[in-house]
Amino acid sequence: MNIPIGWKYLAIFIPSVLGLIGLLVLIRFAWKKGTEYVTPRPTLSRPLSIGGAALGIVAALMPWATFVLNEGAYPDKSTLQFFDSPWAVSGFRLHTLLLSLVALAVVFAPIRKHRIHKALGWSLIGIALINAAFIAGNGGGFGAITSDGSSFAFGAVIGLVAGIALVFSGKAGPVEPIPHLSTDVSRVVAYAVLVVSFTALLLGVAMMLNAGGQGGVGNPYAGPIFLSLLAFFAGVLGALHAVGVTGWISRLSDKHKWFSIVVLLAVALGLPFTEAGTDYWMTTATNIGVYAATAIGLNIVVGLAGLLDLGYVAFLGIGAFVAANFSGAAAAKMGFELPFLVAVIIAAIVAGVFGAVVGSPTLRVRGDYLAIVTLAFGEIFKKSAQNDIGGLTGGANAIPGVPPINWFGLSFDKPLEIAGVKLPSGVMYYVLIIVLVALVMVVFANLKNSRIGRSWIAIREDEDAARAMGIKTGKAKILAFLIGATLAGVAGAVFAHKTSTVAYDSFQFIESVTLLAAVILGGMGSIPGAVLGAALLLVLPEKLREFADYRLILFGFALILIMRFRPQGLVPDKHRRAELANEGAEGVPIEELNLPDDTPGGAKAQVAR
Amino acid sequence: MTATSNAPVLAASNVTMVFGGLTALKDVNIELHEGQILGLIGPNGAGKTTFFNCLTGLYTPTRGSVRLKGRTLPSDPAQVTVAGVARTFQNIRLFPSMTALENVLVGRHSRMKQGPIASLFHGPSFKKGEADARTRCLELLDFVGLSGLDDELARNLPYGDQRRLEIARALATDPAVLLLDEPTAGMNPQETEAARQLILSIRELGIAVVVIEHDTKFIFSLCDHVSVLVQGELLVEGSPEVVRGDPRVIEAYLGKPPEEVQAEVDAYAAESSAERTSIIEPIRDRRPNEGGQQ
Repeated sequence: MNIPIGWKYLAIFIPSVLGLIGLLVLIRFAWKKGTEYVTPRPTLSRPLSIGGAALGIVAALMPWATFVLNEGAYPDKSTLQFFDSPWAVSGFRLHTLLLSLVALAVVFAPIRKHRIHKALGWSLIGIALINAAFIAGNGGGFGAITSDGSSFAFGAVIGLVAGIALVFSGKAGPVEPIPHLSTDVSRVVAYAVLVVSFTALLLGVAMMLNAGGQGGVGNPYAGPIFLSLLAFFAGVLGALHAVGVTGWISRLSDKHKWFSIVVLLAVALGLPFTEAGTDYWMTTATNIGVYAATAIGLNIVVGLAGLLDLGYVAFLGIGAFVAANFSGAAAAKMGFELPFLVAVIIAAIVAGVFGAVVGSPTLRVRGDYLAIVTLAFGEIFKKSAQNDIGGLTGGANAIPGVPPINWFGLSFDKPLEIAGVKLPSGVMYYVLIIVLVALVMVVFANLKNSRIGRSWIAIREDEDAARAMGIKTGKAKILAFLIGATLAGVAGAVFAHKTSTVAYDSFQFIESVTLLAAVILGGMGSIPGAVLGAALLLVLPEKLREFADYRLILFGFALILIMRFRPQGLVPDKHRRAELANEGAEGVPIEELNLPDDTPGGAKAQVAR
Repeated sequence: MTATSNAPVLAASNVTMVFGGLTALKDVNIELHEGQILGLIGPNGAGKTTFFNCLTGLYTPTRGSVRLKGRTLPSDPAQVTVAGVARTFQNIRLFPSMTALENVLVGRHSRMKQGPIASLFHGPSFKKGEADARTRCLELLDFVGLSGLDDELARNLPYGDQRRLEIARALATDPAVLLLDEPTAGMNPQETEAARQLILSIRELGIAVVVIEHDTKFIFSLCDHVSVLVQGELLVEGSPEVVRGDPRVIEAYLGKPPEEVQAEVDAYAAESSAERTSIIEPIRDRRPNEGGQQ
């Protein structure tokens, strides 16, 4: 009998899904029971944490893979024998070792330990699961991470147990408050702390971007290297948060706002000088900047005014096409070239006008209906661009050959050399986009803290009540659309010159969704949130290339998990934080933010929380 | 703030509202003078809320007109507010994720002038306008008895405070007439009495107040003038004493013999004057200070 192949897949697929769900339920149940057991027993905390830390050290020194995988040796000498050369551990094994040593040191330190141990534990769990899932899933099977003939490699398993022990040691006894460090420090100390922490941030970002090579080309294991580094950083941040340091730094930067902004700008401009200063990352960073600026514009519409816009990328497209047409490209409709700054202003105005046009139906429709109207507008734009309406978009041929921006003889696409330091090509675009994002942030922050911004928020909260307070809601909504679209138009103009080819297919529905996801992921109404969201949404796909076909599945899964465990977004606005974060006294520990980005195995632990 | 002659601040004349075949309001006339508190009572479905909506611009009357200081009210809630009629809602409708101060600042919206350009650049005049508004709104929070709670999210305030905040927000629009839709719904006796004192002190600011209430005792002890709506028509109006004693009102609304109602009202008045000293003092203390700034 010939069974169609589809049925065979189903026969495998359905039991595995059911098995996975069963496993999740089981883990969840065990986790809950475990929590119930340890919570009233504070005396368990110490033995659990010492045991966990010791196991973590053992795990770091154990082999993690029993044999060399087909695609080449797993990084960081995973097949190294136990205690072969303890000083040779590197990468994720070194991270495991460091986390465990810190956990051990914390046990004997006179500070509140629970939150620190939880953060370190989650980080260990993340590292163990990511690497285990990858070694096992990449052809090794379970034999690769347990025992195979005479070789034993229980590193991942022990690391997992160590992490769980540490997390449970943090659960034994009452929840401890986060220490509140005073910001009454001298200006010099405050400035030094800010400079150091922002510089550390820069180096961390550069390290993360370069983990495992650029975009995984040439290194089959770049994905897990990146993810486990992410888990490590998350653990470090979580531990710093637990001792109150991150809160302290953020309050310090609030207090010295202008200094922080200057340092942050300087730090951002310093990225080309780090190891991430390559053509590849400059291009990616510029794209992130374009998306971040657009996402902040969208944040005005969605985050502040509460108007769901599903066709927002159209404004980016309008800006890009306008700039392309005035750029002097061969395919441009306008036969002349305008200076970039003039083109930017025209692009902004045109996009703003379209924004107001799209905004006008919002006077009549609300909520879901508005989303459909904006969705339709996005499609109209795409189809018009695809069919070259008015000859302005080049249709399927796009508008190629948009020249790079050229200021005072400095062409933006050429490499640069400053004081003997060679900077990658595209660095000028990077600088330009950093300045643009900074400007857009100022626009957003100023509008938000004004009469206009308050009226937007009031409309989001309760439109009828806002009207009863004398707010002309129609005007306010159109203004939100107009300003948001203007910002997107400016970003689009930069985008046109950077990519040099402006095609309709850069502005499809999926891009609108990505923008919206960036806003929601980062935290609605929050500026750093929008930037972080855009960065994650553009960097993660680059970094997860190894997962090829599963990339989008993982991505979607990660989004679902973040929305489940942190609905207020990664860097929430203070209002939204209060609204959505009341899930319990302790809230969601920060180290979980990044965990969902890992493999399905990591996600398992998430659900089981 | 002496009365500017006898011209009414708010005058509804022959207001009729027809929805399809249903006449919700029929020839309702009301006159409200400066510094007056008008009570509007009536059984459920009598048309109180419909009438309120006519006063706030949500509905345009089918016939008749509503005039504020002699000028016909526009038929748009925002413009009505700008013209000088502020309202609160029956079921509290604050902006829950904004702080108390921000809520009041939203009320101040129509009295502030900064446009988009000024908001973009935050120049000196913007900052001054913002600071002035802030000062004014803090005074209002103080006036309604919410001082020190300005940074609290509206959603986190206790019920009674949310009602006060709604009143502060309405006052921030600098109204000539304040419409209160069931301001004491769901309140305990102490909170009700505090609300009564608050409304009395609002009157002293020279603001005319219209109150819709179910609590007849509250209305009779508070208002200068009471109108009774029954089935869309004005059944009786006059001073609390007159309305309270009117047999038609008793039959249509109260369902009790007049003596009993009288006794209840007396008892209530006595009770509340006793409580006044304890609970209400803080608010009254602030009032002269606040009045001076008007």
